[in-house]
Amino acid sequence: MEDSKKSIGKGIDRIDGILKITGKATYATDYPAKNMAYAVLFKSTIAAGQIKSINSTEAERYPGILKIITHENAPKLNTKGGLRGGALLQGPEITFHGQHIGIVVAETFEQATAAAHLIKIEYNQKEEKIDFEKLAQTPIMPKGKELADLVRGAGKLAMETAEVKVEELYETPIEHHHPMEPHSTMAVWEGDKLILYNGSQIINGAQTAAAATLNMKPEQVRIISPFIGGGFGSKGGQWANLVLTAVAAKMVGRPVKLALTRQQMFNSVGMRQRNMQKLSIGATKEGKLIALAHETISHTAVDDEYIEPCGDCTKIMYEVPNSLISYRVVPMNLILPTYTRGPGKSTGSFALESAMDELAYKLNMDPIELRIKNEPSKDPSNGKPWSSRTTVKCLKEGAKAFGWEKRKSKPGTNKIGDDLVGYGVACGTYPARQRDSSAIIKLSLRNKLVYATVEIAASDLGTGTNTILAQTAADGLGLPIAQINVKLGDSELPPAAGSVGSVGASSFANAVNDACIKITDELLAKSGKQFFVRPTAAQLMVSESITDFQTRSDSKAPAEAEKYSAHSFNANFAEVRINSITGMIKVTRFLAVTGAGKILNPKTARSQIIGGNVWGIGMALTEESIIDPRYGNFATRSFADYHVPTNLDIGRLDAMFINEKDLIPNKMGVKGIGEVGIVGVAAAVANAVFNATGKRVRSLPITPDKLL
Amino acid sequence: MKPFKFISATNPGEAIDMLSNNAEAAFLGGGTNILDLMKEHVALPNEIIDIGNLKLQEIKATATGFSLGALAKNTETANHSLIRSNLPMLSKAILAGASAQIRNMATNGGNLLQRTRCSYFYDISMPCNKRMPGSGCSALEGFNRMHAIFGWTENCVAVYPSDMAVALSALNATVKVQNNNAERYIPFKDFHLLPGNHPEKDNSLTHSELVTAIEIPKNNFAANSAYVKVRDRSSYAFALVSVAAGLNLKGNVIQFANIAMGGVAHKPWRALKAEQFLKGKPATTANFLKAAEAEMVAAKALSHNKFKIEMGRKTLVNALELALKG
Repeated sequence: MEDSKKSIGKGIDRIDGILKITGKATYATDYPAKNMAYAVLFKSTIAAGQIKSINSTEAERYPGILKIITHENAPKLNTKGGLRGGALLQGPEITFHGQHIGIVVAETFEQATAAAHLIKIEYNQKEEKIDFEKLAQTPIMPKGKELADLVRGAGKLAMETAEVKVEELYETPIEHHHPMEPHSTMAVWEGDKLILYNGSQIINGAQTAAAATLNMKPEQVRIISPFIGGGFGSKGGQWANLVLTAVAAKMVGRPVKLALTRQQMFNSVGMRQRNMQKLSIGATKEGKLIALAHETISHTAVDDEYIEPCGDCTKIMYEVPNSLISYRVVPMNLILPTYTRGPGKSTGSFALESAMDELAYKLNMDPIELRIKNEPSKDPSNGKPWSSRTTVKCLKEGAKAFGWEKRKSKPGTNKIGDDLVGYGVACGTYPARQRDSSAIIKLSLRNKLVYATVEIAASDLGTGTNTILAQTAADGLGLPIAQINVKLGDSELPPAAGSVGSVGASSFANAVNDACIKITDELLAKSGKQFFVRPTAAQLMVSESITDFQTRSDSKAPAEAEKYSAHSFNANFAEVRINSITGMIKVTRFLAVTGAGKILNPKTARSQIIGGNVWGIGMALTEESIIDPRYGNFATRSFADYHVPTNLDIGRLDAMFINEKDLIPNKMGVKGIGEVGIVGVAAAVANAVFNATGKRVRSLPITPDKLL
Repeated sequence: MKPFKFISATNPGEAIDMLSNNAEAAFLGGGTNILDLMKEHVALPNEIIDIGNLKLQEIKATATGFSLGALAKNTETANHSLIRSNLPMLSKAILAGASAQIRNMATNGGNLLQRTRCSYFYDISMPCNKRMPGSGCSALEGFNRMHAIFGWTENCVAVYPSDMAVALSALNATVKVQNNNAERYIPFKDFHLLPGNHPEKDNSLTHSELVTAIEIPKNNFAANSAYVKVRDRSSYAFALVSVAAGLNLKGNVIQFANIAMGGVAHKPWRALKAEQFLKGKPATTANFLKAAEAEMVAAKALSHNKFKIEMGRKTLVNALELALKG
């Protein structure tokens, strides 16, 4: 097909946009059910110990109460079924503040909430492990094999021979995902079958985890999740609320809805953990790196391990003969941390790319030049060739578009009135992968028009997945978008990967594309004819008068992909303006230049990237959750305390994409953009703050008090 | 939320009667704070008296100054031509508060009565003398970055959150109050209270009283006033420190200055020492600095808010400079 006729590559509007803005899109708790009951969770108010007693007499007598469920009457569940964060009401042990300890089920949400306040709980409290600064003095080795020390050459020892050194500690706080749609579940039992309406980034993952935890077979559990109000990793793995809703529905014999409150979101669905990152870079006077060490200390839950891989970018970003990546961990009485947008890469790149900026300053070298000087010709971590690498292009094209030449190299010298202006740059990267996914295409011919239905158990986080799948099918079948119906978000559809780790677009789109090729091949074979120009599936349906036809394709990443190192890359440019008296910061301009292979839809891609940028700006300037070490609870527990950026904090956002064709990672050349959009952003902002003020803030967020 | 009865009053007298009859009742104005407090189980009224139908919305000029109806919305007040032209400091302060959506709902009377945003006050699993007298103050040795540097006691280190009230304090406003028998006028400095031994009491209203209006005397600050708010983000964040300043100048000499600070105390903090210093002095940066230093002498920081002393000093100077520029 000619490019101008293709749908892929065009910035078309989301096909579900009207449904969403008119409120017709159905999220987890939007489904009606007869005889619905409402569940509310209640939570522990200590961080460590045991429940001594639960007195729910008064609550049980409250109007409308159907059931109060605690560890004393909850059914036995499989705690190793694949749910994250425990809290399944399986015993009296408390391992973190805010652990679910019971459910009140009532005729109305209000009754359940009011009755939950009447429940009296006594605890045997233990001393909690919660003071990160203290515990971080004696961390332990993590269990994960991928977190073992990675040493190349002489490792950190090579720092001794460096002529110019940067050795600094960078700190990032606990952050929360806080998707607009809080985690919500509706559970409906139909005999021994269970339907769970639940926002799930991985449809099949939610199905298998729920089934295993409930000691059921996967085919007995159906997950329905056509629309998700954001997830950012927190709806990747599933949490106790999914299964506890099913338990409640079973125990009251009615459909049950359970939605977490915004406050409960802080300690129910994981978080980004706090990290202390020691970054050491040694270089020659000419700016060639000779040693690089990235040592991270994080925390995890007392009974499970998750550590975001802060050293991942450092492994591959720069050519350096000697390096060390290490992780140490502190188990704490806090909910299990989890994947959070750009896991490890967003926080890790803050340390690495800040340190690179510090090195450039010490060398009196432009930070872009320093990066280009240390560009690796192959993946330094494994010696594999790049499938493609766009870092230098991103830097050069970005510098030109952003007006980098206007940056004053001497910090604190660009002043407009009371405001200081600064420019910063930082790079980022994220792996490009395709995961196993299957798709069915069903074609029908009605009144001389061909219609297609695409079926795949993919998920759409709100990013436009169903739109890009419609575009893929439109091109693959030779049909207009309007004649394509995409069905996703249902575990009864062909199994697929998840919208996680930037694998969604490549895995889903390739599956659909493969199914289009296959169905066209099959229709050709069925016709028994030879064509000079390969006809489309739509044309074949018409010419052969086939009323209904369908096929299924099971797609995998190309075997060849394993031989290469495939990643998305970016360069981020920030302009900040800081009031020199009050220290208040505004990001006046931000430009992200991304090389992410084929961009299926520039409009939804831009939204993804600038959304990631806003997340990164939040990481840089506002977001921080504080634990009160005396109690183990969050002192920041609402959006009044936990600040995400507002419109007024951010000026103009621009996203540019590098035009690249890299068909090594997958046939469509799609690399993924969900994660990379946040990587390098915080460092770009922090570097701009340094350029503006001469103050290097190594502990995020950069709030006004840190610039006084 | 605890169940409650919902009733509506048609006039102030009826509203006051309804409230007097029930010690556990509360008024509902715009609902931007009381509903949050109810959802969080911090406020537990068993009866909500809707006062939205009361005719207390008028914003007008009076013989002695200006009168703001207690039920006029914050947005309407801030954008009212009388307020913008005569009391720009107040207009700016209101617009620096909350978010557009909240200001559209929030009433002037409700703004005065909003409660602290101290997170320990909101978290019912934590001790808090303001929420539960005698239980202790969690913030005193807890996370107190947002908390007071003036006038706090060991019983409470919370700050009062309003921006609007900071300007009203600087403008010497009076709160007009009606009770069963009569009306009374409470000078702004006496309206909000320091925590002392009774942090549960935010202000000097008694249970059966209704704020009907806020009155502001005529002044000459319009040409030389400012409201500066420093916060963690540019919208929908409470002040780390804020300053309302008005200068009454004769040539370059300050006849008198009215200055109030927000984000630093359990009430709008009138910077009397700074005012006293500036009286009769030339309006110079050097004098502004000395005035700010004089004010900050009495500041006493907690473990996480030492920065507020420096920030307070700088912001005070900044507000005076901006007021001078006009």
